[in-house]
Amino acid sequence: MLKSVQRISLRSSRLYSTGATKPPVKLVAELRKLTEVSITKAREALTASNNDVNLALQWLEKDLVTSGAQKAAKVDGRFAGEGLISTCVLSNGVGSRSGMGHGGVRAAMIELNCETDFVGRNELFGRLAADIAHTAAFITDPHSSETAFQSCSLDMLNDAPLICQLQPHSPSSGTVGSSIRDMIAKVGEKISLRRAVSLVESPPQTHGNVGLRLASYSHGSVSIPSQGRIGSLALLALKSPKLVELMLSEKFQEDLKRLERSLARQIAGFETISIQSPSVQPSETALYDQQFAMFPENTSGSTVSEVLRSWAQDRGLIDGEQEGGVAVLDFKKWTLGETADIS
Amino acid sequence: MLQWATSKAVSRGLARTSLYACQRATTKPSLTLASVSLVARRGYAEVFSRSKPHMNIGTIGHVDHGKTTLTAAITKVMASQGGAKFTDYNQIDKAPEEKARGITINSSHVEYETNNRHYGHIDCPGHADYIKNMITGAAQMDGAIIVVSATDGQMPQTREHLLLARQVGIKRLVVFINKVDQISDPEMLELVDMEMRDLLSTYNFDGENTPIIMGSALAALEGREDNIGATKIKELVDACDEWLELPPRDLEKPFLMPVEDVFSISGRGTVATGRVERGVASKGADVEVVGLGNSFKTTLTGIEMFHKELERAEAGDNMGALLRGIKREQVRRGQVIVAPGSIKAVKKFQAQIYVLTKDEGGRYTPFMSNYRPQLFLRTADITVSLTFPEGTPDAAEKMVMPGDNVEMVCDLHFDVAAEIGSRFTLREGGRTIGTGIITKILDTV
Repeated sequence: MLKSVQRISLRSSRLYSTGATKPPVKLVAELRKLTEVSITKAREALTASNNDVNLALQWLEKDLVTSGAQKAAKVDGRFAGEGLISTCVLSNGVGSRSGMGHGGVRAAMIELNCETDFVGRNELFGRLAADIAHTAAFITDPHSSETAFQSCSLDMLNDAPLICQLQPHSPSSGTVGSSIRDMIAKVGEKISLRRAVSLVESPPQTHGNVGLRLASYSHGSVSIPSQGRIGSLALLALKSPKLVELMLSEKFQEDLKRLERSLARQIAGFETISIQSPSVQPSETALYDQQFAMFPENTSGSTVSEVLRSWAQDRGLIDGEQEGGVAVLDFKKWTLGETADIS
Repeated sequence: MLQWATSKAVSRGLARTSLYACQRATTKPSLTLASVSLVARRGYAEVFSRSKPHMNIGTIGHVDHGKTTLTAAITKVMASQGGAKFTDYNQIDKAPEEKARGITINSSHVEYETNNRHYGHIDCPGHADYIKNMITGAAQMDGAIIVVSATDGQMPQTREHLLLARQVGIKRLVVFINKVDQISDPEMLELVDMEMRDLLSTYNFDGENTPIIMGSALAALEGREDNIGATKIKELVDACDEWLELPPRDLEKPFLMPVEDVFSISGRGTVATGRVERGVASKGADVEVVGLGNSFKTTLTGIEMFHKELERAEAGDNMGALLRGIKREQVRRGQVIVAPGSIKAVKKFQAQIYVLTKDEGGRYTPFMSNYRPQLFLRTADITVSLTFPEGTPDAAEKMVMPGDNVEMVCDLHFDVAAEIGSRFTLREGGRTIGTGIITKILDTV
């Protein structure tokens, strides 16, 4: 059945194109190297464009809209529980000299699903996930809601132009949605953007003595370090009359980064539901009550809150009578596939 | 003699294995006949004769390229020759969960027999399942069939398929180009062939000589167009027979017996007991005792099984080994008795490790570099410290979580006889927290 349909379509395209001959194998191979489209598709494109590779590329771009959508519709009913959690931190708060925000925080985390971990480990898929996370972090507006993290509307994100992480200034090749569709056409698996969250905070107004920082960690990365099977983002606050001065010290910055990485790892590695225990009793799922096992210098088995206090004291954040310290304000931890419908 | 038999461990070991060994003794002269009669006596419906060498192969490929159809087609074509039970597409279980060494693995199995071999054929849905299979040894793949559709050609993830094959130690592959009935232009098929050979070579497989079979699994399954159907399936199976190399059988490997227990028998000397893991040893042979900081050569002056003296012991036998001029204190559980020079005592190695999840009975929490569990390898039980391989970025801050597959360096407190491919488990506080396979030897004694 399929075979005959294909033959008819091939024959008809031959009838309409002027003097089209069978596309040479060399060109088909070349087109495949350029685009990774299927052999059948590459051949069809060349036949339709008179064996001109450039025209064939244009033809493919147009065709992908319809054929990609068809392919996406075909695989839509399948289960996609593999893939990546990808994080992107554009600005990690006070002391960050590069990126957007100038002392503010701007970051995002997304989950992109596929059907098998073979595709999940593929470089093209990883790049796409990284670019989507980058886009989500880039396009989110600052807001004034109660929670630090805001979940992104997937519809809005799908319509947004995809911003390439490696070349953010190059013109976008399409929207997030169309890039996902193109990926479906290439790998032939269902790919879906499951969820996205972003965090955008301007630097606090109170001059100098309060700063925000962002910690992030991805566990189980294959090629790109900012993605894996588990991702965590944590928003921290630093308060000290000496903050500006401290942030100029390279040693302090290094220490702070190490503490941040440890906190993000602690959240990812241990079952963490809240920052503080909801009751008076300490709770194992409350970050502050957990033994801070992921902080390499913590050999005495102190809890996270104890370590944070002594860390702030040792580093001079707390100085005499004045208020100061370091605190975790909010965090997000995602595990791959945890929200997938098993049905 | 009498004293031998009264030693508790020996008699316990003997009682346990006497049935097995008796059967073996009868099967030896004429393998096929004996196993057939055994089958009849036990009343098993279908048991393949063990006279053909066994090999495990897997199918790896994109979800839509027809792996399951191909598997069904192979069983159908082989069934027509009496070498399999036909398992239809919808009967091949979509990778049920199973447990191997307490670890959950998704994989489906069928088996079939060609003129020359008996194949166990496995299919797993994902990369992680194949890796777990390799580490636990549940279904170690000795070869694989890469399935690619002619309509698509190789896809981006075909690279991951080949990388996986490399990682699980497969040296040779056979390629099946499926759905050729949907491609009318033979040149396009040549292109698929050419691209595939290129890719194989890129990933260090023998791209030039790897057999590539083109056919239609569906045609074979539906019994139409024999020239692209059943005939091609036969060609594929023949290619597997010819190209894929059989792993050496246990009997052909050099002798190795892990020491389980040691006894001093007055008037005779020191006897070490254990189950022969591989190879054959004869009375009077030179052997080496290896491991635990004390490796030395000696002579096997006697082999005892079931209160009787034997001339020869081979893989699978529970034996007592009488060692010439050796004091009881010189041999310990955890050492191995081997053919001289066949295995080295190892102090440090790199391994692929799977860390059990909480649900599998493993750890609840992550660990970091310098974690020190107990390592169990054969009968040895040694404290090990785990670190990350040299060159790992941020090794001091890297963590390992339950459920991870990870490559780590194992630094042993005592040396132990080991080689690439040796499997071990990691335990802590009486529970298994991980299992691994040695991938690289870093430091021998």
